[in-house]
Amino acid sequence: MSAAVSVTGGAQAPLLQADGVSIQFGGLKALTDFSLTIRQGDLLGLIGPNGAGKSTAFNVLTGVYQPTRGDVHVGGQRVNGLKPHQINHLGLARTFQNIRLFRALTALDNVKVACRAQGALHPHVLGVGAKMKNALGNYRDWWRALLLTPGFQAEERELTRQAEHLLEVMGLSHRRDEEARNLPYGEQRRLEIARALGTKPKVLLLDEPAAGMNTREKADLMVLIRKLRDDFQLGVLVIEHDMKLVMGICEHITVLDHGETIARGAPAQVRSDRKVIEAYLGDSYLESHGGAA
Amino acid sequence: MAQLLQHLINGLAAGTIYALVALGYTMVYGVLKLINFAHGDVMMVGVYMGYATAFALGREARNSLLGVALIFAVAMLGCALLGFLIERFAYRPLREKPRLTALITAIGISFALSYGFQLDIGFLPGASPRAFPEVIEPKEWIVIGDRDVVVWNWQVISFLIAVALMVALQYLVFRTRFGRAMRAVSWDHRVAALMGIPTDRVIALTFMLGSALAAGAGLLYAIKDTSVSPLMGLYVGLKAFVAAVIGGIGHVPGAVVGALVLGLVEEFVVGYAASTWRDAVAFGFLILVLLVKPGGLFGRVAAEKV
Amino acid sequence: MMETPALPVPEARSVIPAGLRGIFPVLVALVLLALFQWLVSESPFAVYLLSVMGVNIILAVSLNIVNGMTGQFSIGHAGFMAVGAYISGVLSLNLKEVALSFLPVAASDQVLFTVALLVGGLAAAACGFLVGLPSLRLRGDYLAIVTLGFGEIIRVVVQNTNAFGRALGLSGIPQYSSPYMVYFWVFLVVLVARRIAGSSHGRSLWAIREDEVAAEAMGVDTTGYKVRSFVISSFFAGIAGGLFAHFVPIINPGSFTFVKSMEIVVMVVLGGLGSTTGAIVAAILLTLLPEGMRSLFNALGTEGSLAQKVDQIRMPIYGLLLVVLMLSRPQGLFGVRELWDVLPRWIPRKRRGLS
Ligand SMILES: Nc1ncnc2c1ncn2[C@@H]1O[C@H](COP(=O)(O)OP(=O)(O)OP(=O)(O)O)[C@@H](O)[C@H]1O
Ligand SMILES: [Mg+2]
Repeated sequence: MSAAVSVTGGAQAPLLQADGVSIQFGGLKALTDFSLTIRQGDLLGLIGPNGAGKSTAFNVLTGVYQPTRGDVHVGGQRVNGLKPHQINHLGLARTFQNIRLFRALTALDNVKVACRAQGALHPHVLGVGAKMKNALGNYRDWWRALLLTPGFQAEERELTRQAEHLLEVMGLSHRRDEEARNLPYGEQRRLEIARALGTKPKVLLLDEPAAGMNTREKADLMVLIRKLRDDFQLGVLVIEHDMKLVMGICEHITVLDHGETIARGAPAQVRSDRKVIEAYLGDSYLESHGGAA
Repeated sequence: MAQLLQHLINGLAAGTIYALVALGYTMVYGVLKLINFAHGDVMMVGVYMGYATAFALGREARNSLLGVALIFAVAMLGCALLGFLIERFAYRPLREKPRLTALITAIGISFALSYGFQLDIGFLPGASPRAFPEVIEPKEWIVIGDRDVVVWNWQVISFLIAVALMVALQYLVFRTRFGRAMRAVSWDHRVAALMGIPTDRVIALTFMLGSALAAGAGLLYAIKDTSVSPLMGLYVGLKAFVAAVIGGIGHVPGAVVGALVLGLVEEFVVGYAASTWRDAVAFGFLILVLLVKPGGLFGRVAAEKV
Repeated sequence: MMETPALPVPEARSVIPAGLRGIFPVLVALVLLALFQWLVSESPFAVYLLSVMGVNIILAVSLNIVNGMTGQFSIGHAGFMAVGAYISGVLSLNLKEVALSFLPVAASDQVLFTVALLVGGLAAAACGFLVGLPSLRLRGDYLAIVTLGFGEIIRVVVQNTNAFGRALGLSGIPQYSSPYMVYFWVFLVVLVARRIAGSSHGRSLWAIREDEVAAEAMGVDTTGYKVRSFVISSFFAGIAGGLFAHFVPIINPGSFTFVKSMEIVVMVVLGGLGSTTGAIVAAILLTLLPEGMRSLFNALGTEGSLAQKVDQIRMPIYGLLLVVLMLSRPQGLFGVRELWDVLPRWIPRKRRGLS
């Protein structure tokens, strides 16, 4: 998969790398030979018509689905067969297209769950000995919680502090003690991002983060995403339907259709690609946007 | 050798009965993704309906072909009605609620029926088991050697009835309009509703069908066991449920295979180990199967769409 | 990696001073103890009733950790109770003659009793681990059936084992238990449940209950947490069984059937899945109500039959109660909230949220 190796070129090691990943559901080829590399500082776009396999690609990268073929590496480590939480510990976090917050928990607790899970007690370990140590650490940790030791209380305060900071970054401080399900839609999407950031990721996958927002909110969000990438030193991959928006902020775009990668490259390049215009922008888009491409 | 053959026959006979009950679990799970815990108890109620009918008919009438048919008809129709009522008033209001809510409701209904029937108040039968009348007079139909292998008439009859019902069901699900609607609802009841399928009616009918099958199976079981008791639903129901899960819940032929396998396993445990272990074996076997194949023998663990 | 500005740390808005939070429950317990002393005066019936109630509280609170906080659904809690009861019972029976000579007799008995309880609890926890490991990887409704099956397996094993007295049961277990011991464990289980609920572990459990896929994606080892909550829950069920075995004259498989499991499930659902105080209140209610009705009928002088019927009618009513609750008030008495969240406004309350 030579295409996957050098897209953005930089000397940095890739944070996430997918090589020829495919997955089938019964007879349906949801994703075929999908390759992608994300490095620190990247802001990449993933587009395609409905049902193209974009969310499926996220699910395969994050370990929710197992690929039928191909490899995924996160932070240089092969993650095929690992569970989603293990992959998350390696530095990959995501949001969901159909918001999946912990609905009955407060905004703060939503983020604290994430902050904690990636705490010092979950080292990126996969060997047997290390696993044992991890398990013992876990049980010791339960005792600390039961006795409310000063160390435990300090840790809890630290978690609260981190979570509050993330809420502030996402402009949600005023919702701190509100249950997630009572937040307006747009704020729920932002809370999902705050929660994902809580796991201290190196790579952030955002599945239609601007869905359901108006044009102005969308534009603001995109600016925010770019800022997050810089402040948190992330590599970011965004799924977004609004072409204008993706073209505006992403430096590199991959286009899927029926699970196949039909184009990839800089926005200008993708925009003029015949296959993209046919498959994605297609009839309806050209009609409604009068050939905006 | 003869002994082995005899156990095989007994095991298959028991298995076909489990299979009929298991089909009800699997069908309901198919359309609603709900484990209908009360299924076995609905069956028990059906058996009591059949029991009452048999007594109403009297000794002469209930041994005639017409009498037996009437007993089955009353039990199956009565159960269909009960299934309808339970679906309509207990499950339907909860359809869009978290799955746990419906599961708890089902457990509650199961409990209310199986222990309600143990009361001896009014028409309720009381806790102690009762002898089920011999609606089919036991006859040895096939005898091999010096009674080495015996096949009873009721074994053959219940086997035939069970097979006939299964074939009918398979036809219904895969060859009729209703079956197609059922499969559509099973796939996604919201989408099915958008496509103009009357989901409520399909689900209700599925419940009624499953309950009627269970009543039939329950009668066969009662004839075999020559007794009825309020707790039979819990036990037969659990076994049948285990069979459905072993086969892969939601999978129609899987339920049948699972039930036959379970019937055989139990029979062999009783035959070669000790009958006191029988009830533990079904569950031990279940855990074993789930460990090796979490989706059951034929089912797949469907990846939840994320 | 993440630059966090040094914000002033806001204290958790609690009415209890931070320094006292660690030992606060002990203070509460001491007050309750004084009350208790007064209650357990002479009446053996009061002692028995209090003990049964305590055992039910332990069972309900521990089951709530799995069914309420973690959102799994176990309906075989009585199985774990049975393991604790039989293991600790057999142990005590065999150690009856043993005395730790350097201690006074009463103290020696209580030490042996505690050891027996712990062994029973650990055995139950081990069973919880064995049952949980395979079934918690599966969908929630499979867990229900596997736990139910586990209860059945336990019953069959007991019925086939001579050491456990088969169907006849075990009698002659030394009556070491006292309401003090029972409520010491009530105190422990409540403390554990509440401390877990308020810690990051608890938050992970709540997260699993709310959305397993999302929890996993946010780095929560869902299987691990589920197994651990299962182990803790079964440990306390085992303890409850052990306590029970040491104050009733006889234990037999009939004491730990599906009916007992259902009784505990009803308590947890009635109290509100996820509410520890809810589980306590429901356990108290469902212990006292049948007893109260029985005494009432007895006092009224109706022939014994009506008083006996109380026990019979209880079961179908529990079933209907579940159905009615689910249809009309699925959150039970308190939902996921605790007693102090639903108290009148003038009583100072803790901040919102689950901790
Ligand atoms: N778990 C699953 N089982 C079966 N089919 C699935 C599953 N997950 C996804 N699919 C199918 O894979 C295809 C791709 O779906 P996917 O959700 O990845 O599309 P998408 O590009 O994200 O579309 P959208 O823009 O609508 O979100 C669809 O046909 C979908 O039905
Ligand atoms: Mg999508």
